[in-house]
Amino acid sequence: MNARDAILGRLRGAAPDAAQAAALLVAPERPAVDESALEAEFLARLALPSVSASHDAIDTIADLPAAIARYLDAQGEAPTLCLPPDPRLDPCDWRGFTLHDVAAPAEVAALAIARRGIAETGSLIFETSPAAPMLPNFLALHHIVLLATRDIAPYLEDAPLPGTQPRAHYWITGVSGTTDIEGTYVRGAHGPRFLHVILLRG
Amino acid sequence: MSGFDTRAAAALADSTLKTAVERTAGTAEAKRTLAVAAFPDFEAARTRAAAIKDHVIAHLGHYLEQFEANAIAAGAQVHWAATADEACRIVVDICRKANAKNVARSKSMLGEEIGLQHALAEAGIGRIETDLAEHIIQLADERPSHIIWPAMHKTREQVSALFKAKHRTPHEEDSIAAMAESARRELREQMLGADVGISGANFLIADTGAVCTVTNEGNAELSLVPPRVHIVTAGIEKIVPSMPHAVHMLRMLARSATGAALTQYTTFYTGPKRAHDRDGPEEMHIVLVDNGRTNMREEGLADMLRCIRCGACMNHCVVFRQIGGHAYGGTYPGPMGAVLTPALDGLAPNRDLVQACTLNGKCQEVCPVRIPLPTLLKGWREKSWREGLEPTSMRMGLGLWAWVARRPALYRLATGLALRAMRLLGRRGWIETLPLAGGWTRHRAMPRPAASSFMAQYRKERRP
Amino acid sequence: MTQQVALFVTCLVDLMRPRIGFAAIRALEAAGCDVIVPQGQTCCGQPALNSGDRDHAAALAKQTIAALEPYAAIIVPSGSCAGTIRCHYPEIFADDAQWLPRAQAVAAKTHEVMAYLDDVLGWKPDGVSLDATATYHDSCSGLRELGIKAQPRRLLKAVDGLKLAPLAGEETCCGFGGTFCVKYPAISNAIVGEKANAIDATGADLLLAGDLGCLMNMAGKLHRDGSTVRAFHAIELIAGMGDGPAIGEEP
Ligand code: SF4
Repeated sequence: MNARDAILGRLRGAAPDAAQAAALLVAPERPAVDESALEAEFLARLALPSVSASHDAIDTIADLPAAIARYLDAQGEAPTLCLPPDPRLDPCDWRGFTLHDVAAPAEVAALAIARRGIAETGSLIFETSPAAPMLPNFLALHHIVLLATRDIAPYLEDAPLPGTQPRAHYWITGVSGTTDIEGTYVRGAHGPRFLHVILLRG
Repeated sequence: MSGFDTRAAAALADSTLKTAVERTAGTAEAKRTLAVAAFPDFEAARTRAAAIKDHVIAHLGHYLEQFEANAIAAGAQVHWAATADEACRIVVDICRKANAKNVARSKSMLGEEIGLQHALAEAGIGRIETDLAEHIIQLADERPSHIIWPAMHKTREQVSALFKAKHRTPHEEDSIAAMAESARRELREQMLGADVGISGANFLIADTGAVCTVTNEGNAELSLVPPRVHIVTAGIEKIVPSMPHAVHMLRMLARSATGAALTQYTTFYTGPKRAHDRDGPEEMHIVLVDNGRTNMREEGLADMLRCIRCGACMNHCVVFRQIGGHAYGGTYPGPMGAVLTPALDGLAPNRDLVQACTLNGKCQEVCPVRIPLPTLLKGWREKSWREGLEPTSMRMGLGLWAWVARRPALYRLATGLALRAMRLLGRRGWIETLPLAGGWTRHRAMPRPAASSFMAQYRKERRP
Repeated sequence: MTQQVALFVTCLVDLMRPRIGFAAIRALEAAGCDVIVPQGQTCCGQPALNSGDRDHAAALAKQTIAALEPYAAIIVPSGSCAGTIRCHYPEIFADDAQWLPRAQAVAAKTHEVMAYLDDVLGWKPDGVSLDATATYHDSCSGLRELGIKAQPRRLLKAVDGLKLAPLAGEETCCGFGGTFCVKYPAISNAIVGEKANAIDATGADLLLAGDLGCLMNMAGKLHRDGSTVRAFHAIELIAGMGDGPAIGEEP
């Protein structure tokens, strides 16, 4: 007998009752979120030491390059950026930037567009697609994220989309950190050491 | 002395180990306490988490088949392994077919459990451990001592010396941040050059076929996205029915493990790279591993299959805090390891693990899925007693005690004589050495008992 | 109206520190109880149960059930022995149709003495005084199996002149663990060593707890370390017997 049949043979039993599985999700215990002030709630979580993300806000997508230039300048970094091939960025004028679309092993900064922000935890929700590669967001020292304020949702339950799943669906909650040496928290063992969120209002 | 006794004695004599364990476990305990206090009704959340896992374990076959179908539909290849050896063979075969020279591994306790590192070494395949703690362990050629902090047993001074000896461009300044930076430099290029990425799974989502990994460093993603092949090895108990179920378990896992609301990087992988994707592996393989889990389900250890490997039980264990993880001798240390190791490696060589516990119940109190760890340990103790694995002195001593205790008149007579003998050994209220109780008096004094027992005094003073 | 209660003394109190049994009787009588000490009792079987010796545990449990079941309430001056009867007797007889109901009935009416005085009777010591500072250790079985935490503190608060100093890690196991402390003496010693340091650091004169096994462990370590902290079962103070010899001061 092959392993599959051997294992499943010992696990036979009544089919799960879908209602029972659903009942396990009724009124989940979770941190309270003020749903009338999602942006404030989200920003409060972003600022927690465990998340350690900075933020800025713009009114139109055309303001994005200036906001990024401001951020990189404040960080003492050159205006160089790994940009996803996303048509939503078309209105941006990148003059003054050195752009590339394949991230280097020691990439300085990468931009990504979050599909959602989660107020409960300050999480940023991303999905892969041809217009949204994944690797640059982990290689870069500075991960810069564009998030439309209307995409901020209250709870983690709001993170997944129903239906067909993307190849990868990833939730980022803060900068790369480790407590592997003596339980002491330090930033950036592998992933980005800085996370900067630019809110697109309106 | 048993192997456990020897290892425990060595651990107790190692004050550096004590310092290291105390620093990390103490911090973890404090952070968890804060996180739990800030969470509305954590007790109800634990009950829900246990119920979700119980539901899955009761219907495990169905959920596994559902997961398999969805993972295949997403383009992944699903393999099944009944044993650790079979799982390793499958992984090595996939690596060989991919002509892999190097694999990048993202920390997985299941990988440790099945001995994957040895299997890869025997097959001549290079292995890059990318989790910072696993990297430390690999450089030191040691085993993990904790399921969340595998290098918990090392102090910063030891890690610093290790990196200085082994890294190509080690840190100069002796700070933990500089050491992490040194590891980042050392590992970045290596992991990007790997042919295969290997991970475990924190959760398998039945209704989407997704594999979920959770890391705080981002090393899983850097290990799993660039290579041509991604291999997942996962225990069959890792299933949850759907994403909202996973959300609840993630909330519990992060708070119980590190005190965070959510771990920094939570990623769900659903099949390999899609058409026109810019990155991602060309092949994704998922190896579903039994290795004793169906036995546990049938033999009274189904509760243990709820475990989400958060490490809270060991962080809060008085015994673990004294002896660290290596003394346990298995892949999994602490209370959960004491329950799991006999199931994985047999009771006879591990009988000490199920005895070396005060049954104080703290582990059960903090377990996010309410595993009755003391009860499960007592179950193992019964088995050990039945199978005659306990020492003769203990069997005879307890047998004699029970025999006398079942004869109250004789009991009063015998204990009265024993008390008198005991009083002769003590001076000024304390007995400093007591024959047959050296284990007690080696470290502490024994109070000298009163002149006669309660029952004798009571009969004298009161009506019968 | 007097409530008749049976005292299950426990083997350790019977042999090592009878004063705890008498203190329990004194407090229960002050609270209006008529206390009986059933003569057929010895040991509840906890050492056998925790060692995996199911047969002897069941035999001792049967003897204890038979001795105690005639009474309306059973009072125990130990959280771990009360926990064994309340929580574990029904488990021992889970598959025994004849003994299960008897075990459940006894379990339902078994109480740890301080929980009974406080939760059930709503009693407080009256006119008891002791000029001292005490620190309290929560023994694990009482705390986690029976939820004993506030009751002893409420009762001790009513002792005039007694001050309570908080113990760091008051809910952390002292390393006793029944046979654990003799099976793994070195580990147990490391645990109780930290506990003794924490007790000393409170600056208290007295160490109190609700379980004699833990108290003997901690007191024995404190004495070996040269500490001057004196140890009592909390019920001794509550019953007004805190002016007598501490553990290790028996004449
Ligand atoms: S037994 Fe419970 S506390 Fe221990 S690792 Fe597993 S889930 Fe966490």
